[in-house]
Amino acid sequence: MDIKSYDELNSLELDTLREVGSIGTGNAATALSSMLEREVRIAMPEVRIMGYNEAIEWIGGPEEITAGVLVKLSGQVNGIMLSVQQLDFVNLLLESILKQKIKEYIQLNEMENSVLIEVGNIMISTFINALSGLAGVDINLTVPAFTVDMQGAILTVPMAEYGGQSDYIMTIGGNFICNGKQVPCRLLLSPDIRSLNFLLRKLGVSDG
Amino acid sequence: MDKLTIGIADMKMAQGTGMLVTYALGSCIGICLYDSVIKLGALIHIMLPINLETGRKNVMKYADTAIRETLKQMEAKGGKRARITAKIVGGAKMFEDNGGSLGNIGQRNIESVRLNLKKEGIRILKEDVGGTVARTLLFDVTSGLGCVRSYGRQELII
Repeated sequence: MDIKSYDELNSLELDTLREVGSIGTGNAATALSSMLEREVRIAMPEVRIMGYNEAIEWIGGPEEITAGVLVKLSGQVNGIMLSVQQLDFVNLLLESILKQKIKEYIQLNEMENSVLIEVGNIMISTFINALSGLAGVDINLTVPAFTVDMQGAILTVPMAEYGGQSDYIMTIGGNFICNGKQVPCRLLLSPDIRSLNFLLRKLGVSDG
Repeated sequence: MDKLTIGIADMKMAQGTGMLVTYALGSCIGICLYDSVIKLGALIHIMLPINLETGRKNVMKYADTAIRETLKQMEAKGGKRARITAKIVGGAKMFEDNGGSLGNIGQRNIESVRLNLKKEGIRILKEDVGGTVARTLLFDVTSGLGCVRSYGRQELII
């Protein structure tokens, strides 16, 4: 049976999506590790189905400034994938790749912006490649879009995109651990409902 | 002063005094409705332009149903439609994408809010809409003034 809203997912389906998150995030961690030339591990992957305001609290409050890289998925799976990068993560990247640091986002220059966009883009593409291999589906990715602004507003982009279908946002994602510390960067995949049903069928867990 | 926070797809009212706040409006729009004679103010945080849901459970999510419902609730508290005015904030495009694959929900929200306010006979006094920055909106019910806070931009009083 196809679901009509994210909150209808059963525990088997949620476990499967968690596994997708685990494989996707694992691959993204390997990519990140080679870019940073350090060991990067992943924390428990998460699948969350949240109300809008709950999601804003979960990400760490609405007004916190973060950098966001956004890629849109099309083809057999439609959705939005975000890389939300907090300042500590930005500095981890800039230090490793450009040997410099910033105090505030406002100091970011063109070169530094492109580093953030590229790293975000590579992590997202690696995640999606793993997913498309696992489920045997074709997924096209747009060129990455970038912004530095309040994270609440960044998170409302996938909410608004699929807001006509559901009162919830679904995210599949994970966190990274580097040098024993949690890396403040989240990778979030939000598929639309039709694609989610398709994906679950392809993965063999939906009886539809 | 009492501070009330309005979430996404939400609306709250205050009368006499009070501060109505909604955070991080991206493509969403904050609509302040105000009857200055009885100092009755409402702040709505809408996310999408038109309600096409069959069940119509979440009326405050959409510009059309949210404006209609809020005006009804204001009238129930003694607000008079002829005196109620509006200020609108938000409707940004958070990500510049070259291909335009994301569409422009912000712009569609702005147009729908303007259209629905006009339909209800409500005049818009001030606007801070469009652009590419997120906005936090504070609406002071005592004075009817709004304050808009953004990243990398001066505070704006509307």
